Amino acid sequence: MKALEKLNLKQQQVLIVKSKKSNINSGATGWLFASPWIIGLVLFYLLPLVVSIYYSFTSYSILRPGEFIGLQNYKELLVDPLFLKSIYNTVYFAVFYVPLSIICGVALAMMLNMKIKGMTIYRTIFFLPTLVPHVAIAVLWMWLLNPGFGLVNGFLDMIGIKGPAWLGSETWSKPSLIFMSLWGIGQSVVIYLAGLGDISSEYYEAAEVDGANWFQKTFHITLPLLTPVIFFNLVMGIIGAFQQFTLPYTLTQGQGKPANSLTFYVMYLYDNGFKYFRMGYASAMAWVLFVVIMVLTLLIFWSSKRWVHYQGK
Amino acid sequence: MFHNFGKLRKLSLVFCIMTAVILSACSNKETSGNADNAKKDGVTTLTFWHENTGVGEEAINDVVDAFNKKHKDIRVKAVYTAANESQNEKLLAAVAGGNPPDISWFDRFKIGSWASEGSLTDLTKYADRDGVTKDNYYPFAWDEATYKDKLYGIPVDTDARLLFYNKDAFKDAGLDPENPPKTISELEKAAEKLTIKDGNRFKRIGFIPWYNQGWLYSWGWGFGGDFYNKDKNIVTLNDPKIVESLKWIADYAKKYNVEDITGFTDSKGSGEMDPFITGQLAMHIGGNWSISGYLKYKPDLNYGVTPIPTPTGTDFTSWSGGMAVVVPKGAKHPDEAWEFVKFFGSEEGQELYNGKYKTLSVIDSVNEKLGYKKDPLFSQFINILPESHNRPVIPEGELLWNELSNAVDNAIHGNGKPGDLLKAANDKVNKSLK
Amino acid sequence: MNPTHVKKIKISFAHICLLIASAFFLIPFIWMVSTSLKPIEQVFTFPPEWIPKPFRWDNYSKAIEYIPFWTYLSNTAIITILSTLGVVLTCPLVAYSFAKLKWRGRNVLFALTLAVMMIPGQVTMIPLFLLFNKLGWVGTPYPLIIPQFFGVPFYIFLLRQFFLGLPDSLREAAKMDGASELRVYWQIMLPLAKPAVMAVGLFQLMASWTDFLGPLLYLTNQESYTLSLALQQFQNKQGSEWSLMMAVSTLLTLPIIILFFFLQKTFIKGITFSGIKG
Repeated sequence: MKALEKLNLKQQQVLIVKSKKSNINSGATGWLFASPWIIGLVLFYLLPLVVSIYYSFTSYSILRPGEFIGLQNYKELLVDPLFLKSIYNTVYFAVFYVPLSIICGVALAMMLNMKIKGMTIYRTIFFLPTLVPHVAIAVLWMWLLNPGFGLVNGFLDMIGIKGPAWLGSETWSKPSLIFMSLWGIGQSVVIYLAGLGDISSEYYEAAEVDGANWFQKTFHITLPLLTPVIFFNLVMGIIGAFQQFTLPYTLTQGQGKPANSLTFYVMYLYDNGFKYFRMGYASAMAWVLFVVIMVLTLLIFWSSKRWVHYQGK
Repeated sequence: MFHNFGKLRKLSLVFCIMTAVILSACSNKETSGNADNAKKDGVTTLTFWHENTGVGEEAINDVVDAFNKKHKDIRVKAVYTAANESQNEKLLAAVAGGNPPDISWFDRFKIGSWASEGSLTDLTKYADRDGVTKDNYYPFAWDEATYKDKLYGIPVDTDARLLFYNKDAFKDAGLDPENPPKTISELEKAAEKLTIKDGNRFKRIGFIPWYNQGWLYSWGWGFGGDFYNKDKNIVTLNDPKIVESLKWIADYAKKYNVEDITGFTDSKGSGEMDPFITGQLAMHIGGNWSISGYLKYKPDLNYGVTPIPTPTGTDFTSWSGGMAVVVPKGAKHPDEAWEFVKFFGSEEGQELYNGKYKTLSVIDSVNEKLGYKKDPLFSQFINILPESHNRPVIPEGELLWNELSNAVDNAIHGNGKPGDLLKAANDKVNKSLK
Repeated sequence: MNPTHVKKIKISFAHICLLIASAFFLIPFIWMVSTSLKPIEQVFTFPPEWIPKPFRWDNYSKAIEYIPFWTYLSNTAIITILSTLGVVLTCPLVAYSFAKLKWRGRNVLFALTLAVMMIPGQVTMIPLFLLFNKLGWVGTPYPLIIPQFFGVPFYIFLLRQFFLGLPDSLREAAKMDGASELRVYWQIMLPLAKPAVMAVGLFQLMASWTDFLGPLLYLTNQESYTLSLALQQFQNKQGSEWSLMMAVSTLLTLPIIILFFFLQKTFIKGITFSGIKG
C-alpha cells in the first residue's frame, strides 16, 4: 500500500501543473473526435431504437404495421406465465454466470500472465473454444453431458458419485448451461490480460522493496488496478447474460427444454417477434429488459466510485 | 484561443472526406435489391429462394433447368439462402422491405400465419384458370396450402410418421420381428421386453413415446382426438381423446423415471445423434427422411417400419407436413412466377424433384411411378398418406406447436396434470386466435 | 530449501494447473479437428471415439469442393479486413474523447453509448434492415462494413476504460510543450493504448469472420456469400455433412489461431510508463 501511495504522490505533483487552457480547447476537439460516433450512434443505433419504442405500443407484426394499442403489450406481459418463467431463468443464469465468469476470468488471466515457458501456447489454448461454431459446441456438450455415456458422468462414476441427467434434468439444465458458457470466457480473458499488461511494473518493484508477498501484491496492487477492466466486464457480462440466446436456442432447438427450464428471456422474445408475428409484444419485452439492465448498470456505475481505481487519476 | 486550430481543421477535413467517400461509394444502386429483375430482350428473370443443400439442391436445379428449357421468355434463378429460422428471418426482412424474391420455398406449416398477415399472393385465380385442383393431390397437402378457402402455395413434397423398430433387437428379446406391435398395450409389452437395465443405466430402451417425431400430434389423432374445429375456428386441445393420449405418455414417463431417459431425448432430434442407430433405442416414432440418414450412417441397420399403434389396433393414422412453393406479396412478376410454381407441382416437376431427392411426392401417381409402392419401407409411408392429417392451418400454428410441445414436456416431468396443461394451452391459443 | 528450489516448485505447480485447465479448454477444438478427419459413419458412434479411423484427409478437399470455397474466402476476407480497419480507425479516437477530453454532453452521449447495447439486437434488426433497404444497401456488403467506420459501442466502452487508466500527466506535459490534441492522441496516447486497440481489432476481426446474421440478411447474391453462411449449407434434414462442416470450421479458425499466436505478445505484453516518463 505504501508503494502505491508513494507513486500516487509522484503523479499528483505532475498533475498540479495543469493548464486550464487545454480544458477549454478540448470542448470543440472532443466533439470533433467523437463526431463519427455521434453520426453512427444516431443513424445505426438510436434510430432503430426509437422505432422499436414506438413498436412496443403497437400490434406491429413485421409484415403489417399494426395499430396503436397503448400500453396493452406491457399489461399483457405482467400476466404471461412464460414471460415470468423466462425472467426467472434469465436472472438465475445471470446471478451465477456473471460472478463466476469474472472470478474464473481474472484467475485465468493471472495464471496466463506469469512468466513461464510455453505461455504463448497456453494463451492460445484458452482462446480456442471461442472459435468453435455454436452448433458444434452444442452437439459436443450433449455428448459430454449424456447421463449414461458422457465423459462427465463417466468421470463422476469413477470417483463414486452418481451424476445427474444434466441437460435432461430440470434442476441441472441451467447449471449445465452455466458450465458450458464458461468455455467461452476466452474473450474476457484477453481483456483482463491486456488490463494486467497495463499495470506499471513500478508498482510491483516498489512493493518488492517493501517486502510484500504474493498475496499482498495481488490484493493491493493487481486487483485494484484491474478494476477498470473488471468494471467493464461486469457491465458487459450483465448485458450479455440477460441477452443470452444463441447457445440455449441451438441446444434446445428453440424449445427451452426440459420443461421450459432453458427458456431464456430473449428466446421467448425471439419466438414472439419472429414466429408468432408479435413484434410489438417482443419490442415491449425488449424495453422491459432495457429498464432492468439500465437500473443494474446505474447501480454499478454509482458503486464504481468506491471500488474502481483508475491509474490515471 | 485555438492555437491548434490548423490541426483541427485538417482533422475535420479528413473526416469529411472519409464520410463522403464511403457514402458515395455506397450509393451506387446497381447491386441493390433481391427482386431486381430486369426484363432483358423480353426474358423475365425470376429469383427463387430455397433452403436445400447437397442432393436436395441438385433436385431443385433439375426442376429449374427443365422449366427454363421449356420457357423461352422466363428464366428462373435458384438461390440458396439458409435453413429454418434463418431462412424465415431473411424472408421476413425482405418482405417487410418490399423487396422479396419472386418465388420462395416455404414450409406449408407457416402458410396459415403468413396468409393471415397478407404476405402471400393468392394463387386461387391462377389455379382456377389453369385447372389445377385438389383432385391431383393428397387431400392433406392441398388443405395445408389453403387458408380460408384460398390457395397460397403449391405443395411439392411430403412426409409421414411411423413406428421404426429394430429387428435385431426384437429377435434378441424374443419378439417376432415380422409382427410389430399394433395396439398401445402391445407396444407397452414389447417396450418392456426390449428394455435392458444395467444398474441405473439403460443399456437399451424399448421405446420413448415422445422421442424424435413422437409429438402429441402423432398420438392425439391416433387415439381418435381432433385438434381443431374448423367451423368454429377454435383449437380443441382438451379433447378427451387427446388428454387420454397425453395421460398415457405421462404415465409412461413416470414408469420409466423420466430423468433417467431424457439423456436420449434431449440430444439433437435429427438423424445423427439417433440412438436407434447404435441400438440403444429399439423403437421410435420417425419420419421417412430418417431412412436416408440410416443409410448414410449405418447402411446395415436391420429395421422395419409400421403404423403408429393405436388403442384399438385399427384406424391407423399419421400426420404429414412438407414444403410448398409460394409467391410472396410484393413480388414483381406474379404471372410468370405462377408458371414456375405450377410446373413444380405438376407430375413432371414432382417426378424430377422427388425422384432425385428420394422424398415423397404429394401426387399419388408420381409415388407409384417412382417405385415407392414396391419398396418395403417407402410403401408403408405411401400407404398411410391417404389417411394422414395435416396440422391446423391457422394464424397461430407456430404458437400451437410450441404450446403442445410444452404441454408434453411439462406432463412428462410431472409439472401438472395432462388435462390441466392441455386446457391452459387450449385457452392460450384460442385467445390469440380471436 | 533455497530460493531457486522454491521458484522451481512454484513454476511446476503453475504448469500443472495450466495443463489441467488447458485440457478442459482444448476439448472442443480437438473434437472439431478429429471430426473433420473422420469418415462419416464414425462421427456419431457411441461412446464417442476421439481418433479417426482411418484418417480421412480428403474430407478437406471434398469440403472445399462442396462450396465455392475460394470465392467465399475472399468475400469473407474483404469484409473482415475493411470492418476491422473501420473499428481500429474510429473507436480509439472516440474512446479517447470520452475518456480524456472534457466537453459538453459527453456524459449523456456516453450513457447513450451504453444504453444502445442494452436493447437486444432481435428487435432492432428489422428497423435497421429497413434503414439499409432505404439506403439501397441491401444486396451489398456495405451494411457489414460501413457502420464499423462510425464506431461500435462495445469497443468504445472497452477502449475508454483503457484510456482512463492512462495517466493524465503525460498528456498534460505534452500539451504544455505545445502539441495539438490530435498529436497528443496520435503520438502519445494511441501508442500507449496499443495493446487494447490490438485486442479490439482482434475482436472485430473474429466478429466479422464468423458473423452469420449480417451476411444472411444483407447478401442476396450467392456469389457474394461468406464462409459462415456456407457452413450452414452442410446441414440438412437427411443427415448433415458433419465431417465436411468441421473441416471448413477448422480451416476457418486456422488463420485466427495463427494471428492470435503471433500477435498476442503485442497486445498482452505490458508497457511501462516509467520509460516514457523519463
